[in-house]
Amino acid sequence: MKEAIIKSKNLTKKFPVGNGYFTALEDINLEIGKGEFLGLVGPSGSGKTTLLNIFGSLDVPSEGEATVMDKNVSQLSHGESAELRNKHIGFIFQSYNLLPVYTVYENVEFALLLQDKSTSERKKAVMDALEWVGLTDKVKSKPAQLSGGQSQRVAIARAMVKKPDILLADEPTANLDSENSHHILQTMVELNKELDTTFIFSTHDEKVMKYLRRMVHLKDGKIDKDQLITSL
Amino acid sequence: MTTLKLALRNLLGAGLRTWLNVFALSFAYLAIIFLNGLMDGWQKQAKKDTIEWEYGKGQLWHHKYDPYDPFSLKEAHSIIPEGITGAPILITQASIYPEGRMMSVQLKGIKSDQNIINIPSSKLQYSEDNIPIAIGTQMSETTGLKIGDKTIIRWRDVNGTFDAIQVEVIEIFNNTVPSTDNGQVWIGLEQLQKMMNLKSEATIIVLSTNKSISSTDEWVYKDLDFLLMDIDNMIEAKKAGNSIIYILLLVLALLAVFDTQVLSVFRRQKEIGTYIALGMTRWKVVMLFTIEGGFNSILAAILAFAYGAPILYLVNKAGGIPMVADASEVGMSIADSLIPSYTISLILSTVLIVVICATIVSFIPARKIAKMKPTDALKGKIQ
Repeated sequence: MKEAIIKSKNLTKKFPVGNGYFTALEDINLEIGKGEFLGLVGPSGSGKTTLLNIFGSLDVPSEGEATVMDKNVSQLSHGESAELRNKHIGFIFQSYNLLPVYTVYENVEFALLLQDKSTSERKKAVMDALEWVGLTDKVKSKPAQLSGGQSQRVAIARAMVKKPDILLADEPTANLDSENSHHILQTMVELNKELDTTFIFSTHDEKVMKYLRRMVHLKDGKIDKDQLITSL
Repeated sequence: MTTLKLALRNLLGAGLRTWLNVFALSFAYLAIIFLNGLMDGWQKQAKKDTIEWEYGKGQLWHHKYDPYDPFSLKEAHSIIPEGITGAPILITQASIYPEGRMMSVQLKGIKSDQNIINIPSSKLQYSEDNIPIAIGTQMSETTGLKIGDKTIIRWRDVNGTFDAIQVEVIEIFNNTVPSTDNGQVWIGLEQLQKMMNLKSEATIIVLSTNKSISSTDEWVYKDLDFLLMDIDNMIEAKKAGNSIIYILLLVLALLAVFDTQVLSVFRRQKEIGTYIALGMTRWKVVMLFTIEGGFNSILAAILAFAYGAPILYLVNKAGGIPMVADASEVGMSIADSLIPSYTISLILSTVLIVVICATIVSFIPARKIAKMKPTDALKGKIQ
C-alpha cells in the first residue's frame, strides 16, 4: 500500500437517541492509501455513510481519532475542515445534490469558484472535467433537464474538477440503472488511474463491488472483513 | 466577490419567487420616494410662496412684536429706521362689518410702491374719499366681499380712541399663504398711519436683500431661517405622520423577504449541506443567504427605477397631485396641486434604508445555518 492518507484509530461514533446513545461505529481501525479504489460495503445501518462523513470531515468521531491528509478531523475548526474539503476532498452523493438553479457548467465550476481560480483556469478545468464524463454538449442545461445518469456524471465532474486527493462516493449508483452504473464506474476507474485519486465508496450494490480493489465489510458498526481484491 | 456572484446567480435562478419579492419591495421604494418627494415638494412650494408673499428676504420686527400675540400690536410700532431698503408694514387690530356681521381682522398697512412681496399694493393709493383695501380670496369667501363692495372698518388709534370709516374692496388677490389672507385686510401704509396717528411708524419691515442687519434696541433682525422655521417644523411633523404609511408598506415587503428566507433555510437544506460539503464554511453559507436577501432590495431599486421613474416623471409633467385641502384647512401654504420634488439624497437614503433593512431581515433566519449539522442538511432533514 502507498502512503496512508486516511487513518482511523479506535474510531467510535455514537448518536444520542432518547435518553441513551446509538453506536453507529465501534472501534474502527483502518488505513487507506493514496490511489486506492475502496468500498465500504455493508447493509443499511451498518455505518458506511457515517464513516464516509467522518472521512469527509463533515462529522467527527465520538471516541478515537480519524486522520485525513495528516489532519485530525476532531481538532479542525469549521474553517479548517471546510478548507480540507475544498482543497482535498470531492463528494458524490446518491441523489446527486446538484444545485438546481445552476447550469451544468456552473455546477462543475462551483468548486473552483471557492478556490478563487481565474476565469480562464476555471473554464479549462470545467471543460476538461465535462469531457472526462462526456457531457460537453450539456454545459448550458439545468439539472432538471438531465437524466439520472447524466446528473451523476455531472456530480462526478464537479467532484473531480478540482483534482482532489480523495473522492468520497455515497451510494453513487443507487438511483441508476445498470448501464448507467457501469458507465459511471468505468469513468471513475479511469479517473482513478489517470489522476491517482483515492476513491472510497459506500455501497451495497453488487455492480459497484465488481469494480472495487479493496472491500471493507461493515456490520453493525464494526469492521467485519477487510478484503483485498487482486484482479478485476 | 465569489459569494456576491453566487448570491446573484441563486437569486436570478430562483425566478418567480425572487421577482415577487422584488416587485413588493420596489413598490415600497416607490411609495417612500413619492410620499417624501410630495412632502419635499410641498415644503419647497410653501417656502417659495411664503417668501414671495410674506417674508421677502428677511424682516425687521419691532422688538415688542409677537405674531402669536395680537395684544402685542398695541405697542409694537415705532419710527421706521433710516437707511433700510424694505417694505414697512404697520399692523393693528380692527373689526369689519361685512353684511352687517362683525368680524375681527388684522389691518395691515403697506406702502403702495413696494415690490418686495406680491401683495398688490399699487392699488392701495392714499385717498381722502374712497379708501381702498385688498383682501385674499379666502377672506373674500369668508366675508362675502367682492370687488367694489363697501364695508365699515372700526379700529382704535394710538390713544385708544375708537373710530370707523367706510372702505372699498378694490382688489381680491389669489395666493396660497394663509397668513396674508385669512382675517387680513390690506390697506395703504400712509392711510393706516394717518388712521392710527402713527406718522412714519411701522410694526415690521420686509427686507429686499438677505444681507444680515444688526439688531437695535427697537428693531430685531429676523432672517429667513428663523421665519421659515415654522414651515419646516410643520412639514417635518407631517412627514412623520406620513412615514407610518410607508413604514407599513416597507414592513409588508420585508415580511415577504423574511418569509422567503425562512422557507429557503428549510427547503434548501440539501443545498446548504452541498455547499458545506464542497468546501464552504457555514458562515460563508450564512453570508450567501444574507446577501441573497439583500440583493432583493437592490434588484427592487433597479425595478422601481425602471417603472417608477417614468410614472413619477409623468405625474410631475401633468402638473403634480391636485390637493383637495386648501391652505386655510392646513394652516400653511399649500398650492392647488403639489409637484413632488425628488432629490438625489432622498433617493440614495431610501435605497440605503431599504437595503439595510432587507439585509437584516435576511440575516435573522440565515443565522440558523451556522448551527446546522452538515450531515443532516445533506439528507434534507429538517433541523
